[in-house]
Amino acid sequence: MEIRTHKLFGIGCLLLVIAPTAPAQQPFTSVAEEVNRKVVKLFGAGGFKGLPSYGSGILISPKGHILTCNNHILSSTDLRVHLYDGRFYHAKVLFREPELDVAVCKIDDEVDSLPHFDFAKSAAQPMAEVGDWLLAFSNCFHIATRDEPMTVQRGVVAAMAELRGRRGVFDAAFSGEVYFIDGIVCNPGAAGGPVTNRKGELLGVLGRELKSTQTDTWINYAIPIQAKADIQREEGKTVKIDMAAFVKESIEGKYRQSDPNKAKKDKGGYHGIILVANAVGATPPYVEEIMPGSPAAQAGLRPDDLVVYLDGELVPSIRLFRDVMRQVGPGQEVTLEIQRVNRLLTVKLKLGDQPKEKASK
Amino acid sequence: MRKRYALLSLFLGSLVAATASAQPGPGLTEKERIAVVQKVKPSVVAIFARGGQGGGTGVLISDDGYALTNFHVVQPTGPTMQCGLPDGVFYDAVLVGLDKVGDVALIKLLPKKEGAKFPFAVMGDSDLVREGDWSLAMGNPFLLATDFTPTITFGLVSGVHRYQYPEGTLLEYTDCIQVDASINPGNSGGPLFNMKGELIGINGRGSFDKRGRINSGVGYAISINQIKNFMGHLKGGLDSDHASLGALIASETQKTGLGKMFVTSILEDSDVARRGLQLEDELVSFAGRHISSVNHYKNVLGIYPRGWRMPVVYRHEQTRKEILVRLMGAQRKVIDDPTQPKDGAPPKDNPYKDKDKPSKEKPGKDGKPIPIPKGPFPQGPMPKGPPSPAAKFFEAKPGFANFYFNKLERERLMAGFKQHGDFTAVDGNWMLDGTIRLKKLRTESKARIEIVDEKAEDGKGTKPIVKLRIDEFPYFLEPFKEKQEPGVLKLPETSGGLLSALYLYHRLMTQGDKGFGKDFVYGGYEPFYPPPQDGKTMPNLGSLRVDCEVANSKLGPYLVKWFFDRTDSKLVGFEVRLEENEDPCEVYLSDYRPVDGRLLPHRLQVMYGDGHYGTFNFTSFNLQGAPK
Repeated sequence: MEIRTHKLFGIGCLLLVIAPTAPAQQPFTSVAEEVNRKVVKLFGAGGFKGLPSYGSGILISPKGHILTCNNHILSSTDLRVHLYDGRFYHAKVLFREPELDVAVCKIDDEVDSLPHFDFAKSAAQPMAEVGDWLLAFSNCFHIATRDEPMTVQRGVVAAMAELRGRRGVFDAAFSGEVYFIDGIVCNPGAAGGPVTNRKGELLGVLGRELKSTQTDTWINYAIPIQAKADIQREEGKTVKIDMAAFVKESIEGKYRQSDPNKAKKDKGGYHGIILVANAVGATPPYVEEIMPGSPAAQAGLRPDDLVVYLDGELVPSIRLFRDVMRQVGPGQEVTLEIQRVNRLLTVKLKLGDQPKEKASK
Repeated sequence: MRKRYALLSLFLGSLVAATASAQPGPGLTEKERIAVVQKVKPSVVAIFARGGQGGGTGVLISDDGYALTNFHVVQPTGPTMQCGLPDGVFYDAVLVGLDKVGDVALIKLLPKKEGAKFPFAVMGDSDLVREGDWSLAMGNPFLLATDFTPTITFGLVSGVHRYQYPEGTLLEYTDCIQVDASINPGNSGGPLFNMKGELIGINGRGSFDKRGRINSGVGYAISINQIKNFMGHLKGGLDSDHASLGALIASETQKTGLGKMFVTSILEDSDVARRGLQLEDELVSFAGRHISSVNHYKNVLGIYPRGWRMPVVYRHEQTRKEILVRLMGAQRKVIDDPTQPKDGAPPKDNPYKDKDKPSKEKPGKDGKPIPIPKGPFPQGPMPKGPPSPAAKFFEAKPGFANFYFNKLERERLMAGFKQHGDFTAVDGNWMLDGTIRLKKLRTESKARIEIVDEKAEDGKGTKPIVKLRIDEFPYFLEPFKEKQEPGVLKLPETSGGLLSALYLYHRLMTQGDKGFGKDFVYGGYEPFYPPPQDGKTMPNLGSLRVDCEVANSKLGPYLVKWFFDRTDSKLVGFEVRLEENEDPCEVYLSDYRPVDGRLLPHRLQVMYGDGHYGTFNFTSFNLQGAPK
């Protein structure tokens, strides 16, 4: 029932181009309709700890490549996509780039001629400026399913500045320059949706629900499609990658994915805990050794301690312990609950700067 | 963080500034926008509970002081409230009607001088609203305005035909309008305008999640078109209910396109079951709107009142069928149901209303409205302090928001009805002659109808008798004889009770609503579908629709619903049944022509269940006065 008037918005766009100042009763209706065909609703992992199991994505190829936020919902083995016309597909993640906080997924089916943004062309445009109008499209609050159009909101580029955000103790993955938006557009499920200018041209990717580390208030932002980031390759080289290159190489299937763990490794603070060998898939985080003089030693941790909770969250595996600790920066404090023989102890651990040589495995 | 999807009850938190930009939108100059604001602003009402405990917003919709707001705004105020208009004047107001499921209430402001006119907003067509349109929300967020001047917020329509889940069965937002215009606590019940200054919705809900109960860029307005469906109920002082189909519908996921909707369960005593819908049938459209997802279905169903009859198209195996379905309630029986608590406790959930939810990917699932402040409402005690001057316009009655207005509407309706003829002088025996074309015979037969009073057996007084003769076949009914089998009351067979219906018609015509005592209540607006004349094929059923006002009455064993044309209050038909959940005898009246200065229908069509019983054409009316 919503699949109508495709011709109409064609005419609408034409009108906007020819006579942008002509009085129109529905100024953004045709733009909203056009952009809505190029956005998808994503459903995947989540549904706990205030993390939504739904999100938003941007179609960037006629064959169903989707640019979205590199967030938790992609961890699902059952990632699902709803198109603007109600079509329903499964999708898989092709490449993630944590430093840009975006990922490219692809519809796991033969599709062709989907409406999409020409990413390379959009990224070649100049960036928006402070004061410019913008439109944000997302499936915030999971309002839409199937063929229901996504939410459109309007705002203004309030500022352009480096992102200093956090969710809980975790710092934002991306720390480059972003568009700060005056509208309240970063709601649950909005991350990964497009931000366009008033003509519906792609400007950026809607960000996550983050609080400013400086003011502790909720922030609304989008990562510009011209964003760049320094990426560490395995061989120790640092390369600059922009989002357009990431998108292009991902669609071509030849993006050199950086090891997200590697890339992140040196970001975490130093704790000095060496765990037992990660022998099986879910080896519990038993302490093998404590580096002398390390924050862990100062906190009184000992070999054979078992880390049970990390900041109140159960950490059943070494992998999860490492994932979480990598997100905690120097100077930040975490609370560990450890089991020592048959007692449960609470230990506060303030992380230090990473020593020159690698201290954790 | 725990109060998600909260209703905008009063909460004075920190203020998030409206993000309305100083720039005008394309196609609308700043001057034009200011002009629209100035035009509609006087209609915005600041509503306060008497004694100053809480409040919200409303909007005037008529010059005699009727104003719309949210149910959850008047819930804490009780049946009388105080209202401020932007001119700075304070008015007393009284609750008129309620739609609790839809979160709508109608109130009436009392003019300072008898007959003084109020400014009011003109209602638009919310089905024309599109995502990306500009909109204006007005209201009293955070109760900022002590001089009652509304705060104006400006924003985009973020989505239309949105569905937001109810709290239990109440406060369900179906087919609603989503806006990014800032809507905050205190805005509840206030108007959403399009840029022509037409009222397109009533603001009442938001998605809030982690950011507290203040605007987070996602607000919802009840569409004005839904409210129009309930306007008769609201003006008639009813405590109305929304509809359910009586069947559960689930979507079958289809990768390549939209889902198909299938019947997974059906209530045996529902009208939709009697009309032939079966398990595994595919629901194609409802009320003329194509259904392809559970959200569509709930949106379309959710905008109609209980009891409305709507066309449904379904596919049974390979056959496409269209039926008219009488909708069941969303709440369990509301009106005069002794099983329902009378103390204002919410009715129990109707299990058939709630279960038809989508499976995995339903929207708004993690949202629940803020619990409504519990108040003994609407039949609770009046607020303390001196009685409001509006209290004399309030009359409590179970099943009604304010029975005073039901009487008012009933009187208005009956006054219009009487314009078509005064039958008080011919209130005795009636004899109608003409022909009947019986559906089963397909030929014309001579017919005579007599409604007469005969001496009772015990010699005291009289008793009514209905006689019908079709050719040589006589039918006879004594409508009020004790202990009659329902089969007798439904004579002739396959008519569903034509004899009873004729008696009740005579009673309404000659005695009016008084003939039904207290059990004659105004029932709001309903659609009515007069069948096409004999020999013509049925077009789509929706095209037959005539908008009517209805009255519901009870007399002895009979339940009667009367349909009056909304334009001229002419009686266009009625339905008679013995039980709530059974097919009525449907009588359609047409071909009105004057007889001795009174308008009388010369054609009377009778339908029952899925069948057409027959059509009378009258050639002579012999109407006598009763002996004095």
